Amino acid sequence: MKYDVLNTRLPRVDARAKATGDARYADDLSMSNMLYGAVLHSPLAHAKILNIDTSEAKKLPGVKDIITAKEAGSIKFGVSPARYDETMFCVDKVRYVGDEVAAVAAVDYETAQKALSMIKVDYEELPHYLSVFDAMEEGAVTIHDDHPNNISAEVHNEFGDVEKAFAECDIIKVGTFSNKKQDGAFLEPQACLAHYDLNGNLTLYSSTQSVHYVQRTVAMVLNIPVGKVRVVKPYVGGGFGPKAAANSMELIACLLSMRTGRPVKMCFSREEVFMHSRARHQFFHELKVGAKKDGTLMAVQNKCYLDGGAYSSFGIATVYYAGSLLAAPYKLPNMKYDGYRIYTNKPAAGAQRGHGSVVARACMEQLMDQIAEEIGMDPIELRLKNIMEKDDVTCNYFNMSSLGARECLEAVRDGSDWETKRGNLPRGKGIGMAAAFYVSGAGYSIYRSETYHATAMVKLSEDGGTVDLYTASAEIGQGSDTTFTMIVAETLGLRYEDVHVHSGDTDFGIDLGAYSSRQTLMTGHAVKRAAEDLKRQILDVLAAEFKIPSGDMDIKESCIVFKNEPPDFSDIRIKYIKEHRGWLDHPEGDRLTFREAARIVYLKKGVIVGGGAYKPDELGGQFKGASVGTSPAYSCSAVVAEVTVDEETGQVTVDKLTDAHDCGFAINRTNVEGQMRDPFIWDWVKHCSRRSNLTRRGNC
Amino acid sequence: MKKLISLNVNGTDYEVAVLPNRTLTQVLREELDLMGTKEGCGIGDCGACTVIMDGRPVNSCLVLAVQASGSKIETIEGVAQGNKLHPVQEAFVNLGAIQCGFCTPGMILTAKHLLESNPHPTERDIREAMSGNLCRCTGYQKIVEAVQEAAAQIKS
Amino acid sequence: MLLLPEFEYYEPTDMDTAYSLLDQLKSDGKIIAGGTDVLVNLKEGKIHPGCLISIARISGLSAIEKKGTEVVIGSQTLAAAIAESELIRVEFPILSHAASKLGSPLIRNRATIGGNIVTARPAADLIPPLMALGATIELRSKGGTRTLHLEEFLVGPGQTTINPNEILTKIVIPEAKPFSGGDYMKLGHRKSLEIAIIAVASVLTLDETGKTIKDAKVILSAVAPKAIHAVSAENELIGAEPTPELFEAAAVRAMSDCSPISDIRGGSEYRKEMVKVLTGKTLLNALDAARGGK
Repeated sequence: MKYDVLNTRLPRVDARAKATGDARYADDLSMSNMLYGAVLHSPLAHAKILNIDTSEAKKLPGVKDIITAKEAGSIKFGVSPARYDETMFCVDKVRYVGDEVAAVAAVDYETAQKALSMIKVDYEELPHYLSVFDAMEEGAVTIHDDHPNNISAEVHNEFGDVEKAFAECDIIKVGTFSNKKQDGAFLEPQACLAHYDLNGNLTLYSSTQSVHYVQRTVAMVLNIPVGKVRVVKPYVGGGFGPKAAANSMELIACLLSMRTGRPVKMCFSREEVFMHSRARHQFFHELKVGAKKDGTLMAVQNKCYLDGGAYSSFGIATVYYAGSLLAAPYKLPNMKYDGYRIYTNKPAAGAQRGHGSVVARACMEQLMDQIAEEIGMDPIELRLKNIMEKDDVTCNYFNMSSLGARECLEAVRDGSDWETKRGNLPRGKGIGMAAAFYVSGAGYSIYRSETYHATAMVKLSEDGGTVDLYTASAEIGQGSDTTFTMIVAETLGLRYEDVHVHSGDTDFGIDLGAYSSRQTLMTGHAVKRAAEDLKRQILDVLAAEFKIPSGDMDIKESCIVFKNEPPDFSDIRIKYIKEHRGWLDHPEGDRLTFREAARIVYLKKGVIVGGGAYKPDELGGQFKGASVGTSPAYSCSAVVAEVTVDEETGQVTVDKLTDAHDCGFAINRTNVEGQMRDPFIWDWVKHCSRRSNLTRRGNC
Repeated sequence: MKKLISLNVNGTDYEVAVLPNRTLTQVLREELDLMGTKEGCGIGDCGACTVIMDGRPVNSCLVLAVQASGSKIETIEGVAQGNKLHPVQEAFVNLGAIQCGFCTPGMILTAKHLLESNPHPTERDIREAMSGNLCRCTGYQKIVEAVQEAAAQIKS
Repeated sequence: MLLLPEFEYYEPTDMDTAYSLLDQLKSDGKIIAGGTDVLVNLKEGKIHPGCLISIARISGLSAIEKKGTEVVIGSQTLAAAIAESELIRVEFPILSHAASKLGSPLIRNRATIGGNIVTARPAADLIPPLMALGATIELRSKGGTRTLHLEEFLVGPGQTTINPNEILTKIVIPEAKPFSGGDYMKLGHRKSLEIAIIAVASVLTLDETGKTIKDAKVILSAVAPKAIHAVSAENELIGAEPTPELFEAAAVRAMSDCSPISDIRGGSEYRKEMVKVLTGKTLLNALDAARGGK
C-alpha cells in the first residue's frame, strides 16, 4: 500500500518552536496580577500533625493566602477509585518526607518561601518504615488505617496448575531479583498556573500527561462541576509516567486561585520532583521458571513485593502488571502470581515506562538464559522455540491480535551476527540478548467506566482548504501531535502543512492521555475516524454538486480526483476567483483543487466538522484483575547487546546494541527510531545499577 | 538593595535593577521575558539553563546577574537570524534530535559554540563537548548525528 | 525555580578594598569566584554568609605564567583555561588532564582553581594533581601574606585553614623535574558531571638512568575527609626500580593507607579495591610519561 504522508520522515510539527525557544512550557506562562504559590512539605517520614500555626506567616507583607487541610477539606483522590488514598494536604498525619502540609500564595516566590518558614507545625513522630519487610512486620504501625500490615494491594492469580507443571519439568530455575527505585528524571519539573475567573470557571495550565484525569480530579476534590473545569497542557518537557495523574500542587494552585481571585503559578524544584516521585517502584521478585529438556516452557511462579511508598498512585495497576505481563511473548500454559504492594514511609511510587513489566521481564529473561545454558541450547533458539504468534491467546486471556516477536528475534540474531560471536568473543567481552513485551494502551481506563478512550474533531476551515484537528491528547515529546497531523493529512489526502493540530485541552474532547503507550493506537483511531467522517461529508456535498456518486471521487495531494472523466468545474473556479478578488495565487490548472472544493462545501453547509471516537472492545478474562494487562494490541521487541567488562573496576561498556521492535505500522520513521533509542539507555542504566543488589543477594 | 546592571543579550543592550541573589536565568526569564532558557535543576547538573556568556557556554543558574553585568550573553532566542534557522537548528529539526524540547535550547547553544571553535569535531569531541547537557528523551544518538550534519552543512 | 537566600554583594576592583571588606565582615563575608560551588551550597542551605564578595573584577588574578623555575596560576583562572592552556599541557599534563575532568564543560567555564581548592570537597579534582606536583598556595589579607602547601591548608570536607579575612591569590607549582611524569585517574559511574567514587594522582621522578625512582607522590582522593598521600605506597616506591611488580606492591600498600567510607557513590570495600587498581594504573602511566617526557 502506497502512502503519501505516512511512513515518511517528515519533521515534527513542533520541532521549530522547540528549536528556537518559542515553545512555552508551564513555567514560561504568566498572567497579569498573578500570585506565586509554594508548598510546605513534611520534614518527617511518619508523624501525627498536632497543630499547624500559620498566624505569623499570614502577617508577612505580600502573603495573600495560606491554606491547610482545614481549608482544603479531606476529599480523597488518587489514580484508581479503588485506591483513593491521597488528600490535597495531610489531614491527621504525614506519611513521608515531602508530604504536603500547607501552602502559601504570595506576591513572589521569595515571599512565599519565607512565609513557609514561618509556619509552625507541631508533630508527634511515629515509627517509620523504609523497607517493605519492616513495614509488613507484625506490630508495625499502619501508614493508612484501613491497610493492616501496610499492604496497599495484593494480587493472587493462578492460571493452569503450576505445581503439576513443575512436577513434569526437567529443569527448574529459581532466582531472587530486585532493582533500584528509579525516578522519571524528566528535564522539566512539574509546574502549573491556575486561573479561577469571576464567572466561576477554572482553567488550569499544567505540565501533565493527561488533562482528562487532572480535570476529573480537580472537579471532584474541589467540588466544582466538571464542565466548569478546563485543563490545558502547554508544551511538556517529558513525563514518562509520573506526570500521568493529578498532583497536590495542581489542586493547591486551583484552590488558592479560587480563594484569592487571582491566577496562581506554582512549580516544583528538582528536589520536590524527587520527593513527589510517583516513579518506578522497587520490586523484589522471587521467580521460578520450569521447562522441559527440549526447552518447552511449562510454568512460571512469580512472587513479588513492591515498595509502594506512602500512597497508591498507579500502584494498584503496577502490582498487577508485575505479574500479568509475563504471560507473553512466550507460550506459557501455567502461571502463578502473588503480588504484594506495600506502603512504606517514602515518596510514593507509580507508573513509569513499562509500568511493572520491566523488572519482571529482566528477571524472566535471566532465568530463560540459565535454562538455555543448562540444556545446551542457544538462548535465541530457546526464545524462538516458545515464541507466540499472531492470534495466540495467553493463559490469562491476552489476545495477540498481532505479534512480530519471532521476526524481532530473528532480526537481532541475524543483524548482530549472533551465531558467529556467541561463545567466541575474547575474554572481557560478552554478548547477550533479551526480549520484551508491552501493551499498546491499557484495555480499560484507570477508572471503571464505559467512556471512550479518545475522541477527536476535525474541522474544515471556511477558506483556505486547511483543516484543524482538535484532540485532548498529550504531546509530551513522544511525537503524538505529529502522528495525528500525518494521519489526518493521509486520510484526507491533504498536504501535511495544511493540517493544524490543537491538542492537550479538555475543551477539545476526551482523551485518557499519554501513558501505557496508547496515544498512537487509540487516539490515532479516533483521529482517523474523525478525518474519514469529514471526508465523507465533503464528498457527499461534491457528489450532489457534480451529480457523481461520492464513491467515484477521492482527495489526493490536495486535489479532487475522479474515477471517470472529471466534470466541468469552471463555475466553481469562477466563483472562487470572484470571492477572492485581489489575491495573487488563484487556482489554476486542469485539476479541481481542494481549496476550491472546500469553499463550495462551506457555502453549502456552513459548518463542517468530522467526529471520531475510539474505545477498545471488551477484552480479557473474567477473573479479578483480568482487565489489567489487556490491550487491543501488543508490541514486542528483542535486543542483542555486546559489552566489554573491565574486570578490574567492574565497569561495563556497551559496545553495540542491535534492536528490533514490532511497532506495528510506523507512522513517522524518524520518530519511531527516536523512541527506540532512548529506552535502551535507561534500561541499561537500570540494569547496571542493579548489579550491586544482585551481588549482595548472591548473583544467580 | 538592588543594583543596576547592564547586559548585552542577543545584541541588544539592557539595563536592569536586580537584587544580588537573582541568577542570570531568573533575570533573562523574568526581567527580559526571554523564556527559551530553562531551569531543570538549579544546581548546574542538567544544562537546560545554558547560555553563551562572553564566548563560553555556562550554566546560567549558577551565574548571579550581578556577576554578568557588562557581559555579552547569547540565548536560544538569538540563534536564528530573523526567521532563518541556524544550521544547527535545521539539523536538529530535520534529524529528529528534538522530542520534548526542554533540553533543546541548551543543546543547540552548546553545539553552536562547539562548531564555532571546532568546525570538524569527531564523534568523541561532540559527546565530550555536550556532556554538560542532559537529555531524557532521545538517548543522545540523534543529537550527535544532528551536530555532525550541521558541521557538514556549515562546511559546504 | 531554586532560589538563593538574600545576601549583600560587593565587587571590589582592587585587593585593598577586598581585604578591608573581609576584615569588616569577618566570617559573614565569603569570597565568590566562579560560583559553581558557593551558589550550589547557598541554594542547598549549607552555608549562610550575609555577604558575597566577588574578586572577578580585580585584575591580575587569572594569569598562567612561567616565572623562573615556577609556574604561577592566578586563583581566578578558569578550570577550562587550565585545560586549554598549552603551557600547562606541556609542563604539567596531569593538571591539564584533571582540569578537563572537572564537572562538565559548562561548569569548567565558570569554576576556578582557587574555588576548587578553597571549597575543599574530598573529591575535588584539581587538588590531587596539585599535591602530587608539590604546589603551594598564597593567601593574602590586610595583615600580610602566607604561603602554604596544600597538605597544611586542607583540614576536612569543606574545611581549610583559611582565615575569614584571607583571599587565595595564586597557586605556585615548581617546574617539572627532568624525568618526571604523572597521571590522574578518576573513577565514576558516569564519564562526565561526576563526583569521583575515588581518584588517584601519581607523579614519579626518575633518575637520569631511568632505573631508580628518585621521588614518588601518590595522592588519593574521595577516600578520606581530604586528599591524602598514600604514604606507605610512596615509601615503597622511592629508591626502588620501577617495575610492574613494584607498582603492584605499592598499589597494595596504598590500600592500607586509607579507610574509605561507604556512601551513595560506592561501598568501602569497592573503594579500597579501586585504590589498588587506580594506583597501579596511574603509576604505569606516570612511568610512561616520565620516560617519554623531558
